[in-house]
Amino acid sequence: MGTVLRSEGLTKRFGSLLAVDGLDLEVREGEVFGFLGPNGAGKTTTLRLLCALIAPSAGTAEIAGLRLGRDDGRIRASVGILTEHPGLYERLSARENLRFFADLYGLGAATADAQVERFLRLMGLWDERDRPVAMFSRGMKQKMAIARAALHEPRILFLDEPTTGLDPDAARTVRELILALAREGRTVFLCTHNMDEADRLCDRIAFFRQRVIRIDSPDRLRAELYGRSVEVRVVPAPLPHHLETVRAVPGVNEAWLENGSIVLRTADPTRTDPEVVRALVAAGADVAFVSERRARLEDVYLRIVHADEVEP
Amino acid sequence: MTVLARAPSRSTIISSVCVREWREARANKLLVAMTLFPPLVILAAGIFAVGAAAIYPPNERDLEAIYAAAPAVVGLDPAQAVQGIIAQYFLILFMLIPTIVPLTIAVYSVIGEKSARTLEPLLATPVRIGELLLAKSVASVVPAVIVTWLAYLFYLLAVGAVGSPAAIRAVTAPRWVLAMIVMVPLITALSVNLGILISTRVNDVRVAQQIGGLVVVPVVALGIAQVTGRVVLDEGSFIQMSLVLLVIDAVVFAAARLAFQRENILTRWR
Repeated sequence: MGTVLRSEGLTKRFGSLLAVDGLDLEVREGEVFGFLGPNGAGKTTTLRLLCALIAPSAGTAEIAGLRLGRDDGRIRASVGILTEHPGLYERLSARENLRFFADLYGLGAATADAQVERFLRLMGLWDERDRPVAMFSRGMKQKMAIARAALHEPRILFLDEPTTGLDPDAARTVRELILALAREGRTVFLCTHNMDEADRLCDRIAFFRQRVIRIDSPDRLRAELYGRSVEVRVVPAPLPHHLETVRAVPGVNEAWLENGSIVLRTADPTRTDPEVVRALVAAGADVAFVSERRARLEDVYLRIVHADEVEP
Repeated sequence: MTVLARAPSRSTIISSVCVREWREARANKLLVAMTLFPPLVILAAGIFAVGAAAIYPPNERDLEAIYAAAPAVVGLDPAQAVQGIIAQYFLILFMLIPTIVPLTIAVYSVIGEKSARTLEPLLATPVRIGELLLAKSVASVVPAVIVTWLAYLFYLLAVGAVGSPAAIRAVTAPRWVLAMIVMVPLITALSVNLGILISTRVNDVRVAQQIGGLVVVPVVALGIAQVTGRVVLDEGSFIQMSLVLLVIDAVVFAAARLAFQRENILTRWR
């Protein structure tokens, strides 16, 4: 997978306010990249920088093979952005809204019509194409805004809080759309507060507050910070010697009793778990189930961001 | 994956922005009313006044006051003199249409986009900012000029039907025809770009209109001076004024272009 976005020392100041501080980032072609940070961390400013909407105070970036500051118009043609607010023309119909942007992206009449139809169908809005957008629900408007951002087949799609304020149904639809767009080979750069969403959608995530604190895949971040925990349910209840049996299995780093289960920590559950089950059965235990416990990404985020607050 | 986007041509940008703005304006009944109301009132009042002057000629005392205020008509038949003055006076009001109508459209065009938060997606396209501004200006100038010319055309027809030869001569005088053809678009452009410039600094349509409305003052002053004979403007003067207006238009457009920049819009406009 090649690199589709690379920034070096990208910095943005507004007077005395340092919004983005020396951002070094590499995003790979075709990945869903999560960009997570607290309010006021500079996420939206970063998006605007990378979409060539505002100029950096220092540093450089290459987006879709184009140089920021030198090829800004071409960068804007190569990326799509979903802004924090849908920003649709409410008095116009869905089709008129998309057709207007297709024209501004220079698609040409035939391509513009085809793309408008393709995306309205993809978003499930084709039957509503001639209704004014003012009559749309919030979820429909968000789908329209995503369609607008992807209409010109950009190489990178920047999405700023795509599911904020949506009900669970609409949020799920939007997440499915993001995955559908990613499956087409598009790189998705996702700014979100929603840890569950980042966990489900992203191949890699960056924790960000004015600068990147950490970048990795959600699983590796979890494993690195919390290890991998496994819960073994023994019925009717685990006995003290069952716990000792588990602790004696090679590869088990730690084990304890918790709510009627044995919980153990191991670096490699795929090798350790069968050994644990065999040892428990040999010790006369009835094993009801074995399941891996996943630390929540939210816990990982809070730990990393708070650690950064203490030691900036 | 092939990126389909490319920089659109200037004509595409202008036509797309115009069509979009006009569609939106058409759906905004308040804006349509605010656009059409002033020209309709001026047109109706003008036709009524010229017609009334033919029916009710002035008395001796009124005539003295008219001659004192407008030495240019001394010696004419009283009824004709009054009709000529009234017909010409309303032409000044017609010159106000391009200061009022496009200002409303331009202010809505920018402040409306600000409040609907539609500017950021627009600025994220490959469109160059100067072209976007030019497109917005054209979208406001064209309807205002058409409305003014249509109002003038109806006025000519009406004066031709009910007015005296002096009134007809007044409204078809070459300097006024020149003013309508050349100065109306220039005044419209000034009003539009001033409206855009003001809209970059304020968020309230009414405030922007009040500030932008000041553009009517020099037009009214010049018109009154012309009608009353204090300043007699011939065709040459109108051409000179048009050239001055052209320069002012260019300066105001450049100022609007400076204020209307991606980074300013996204980070400073509130």
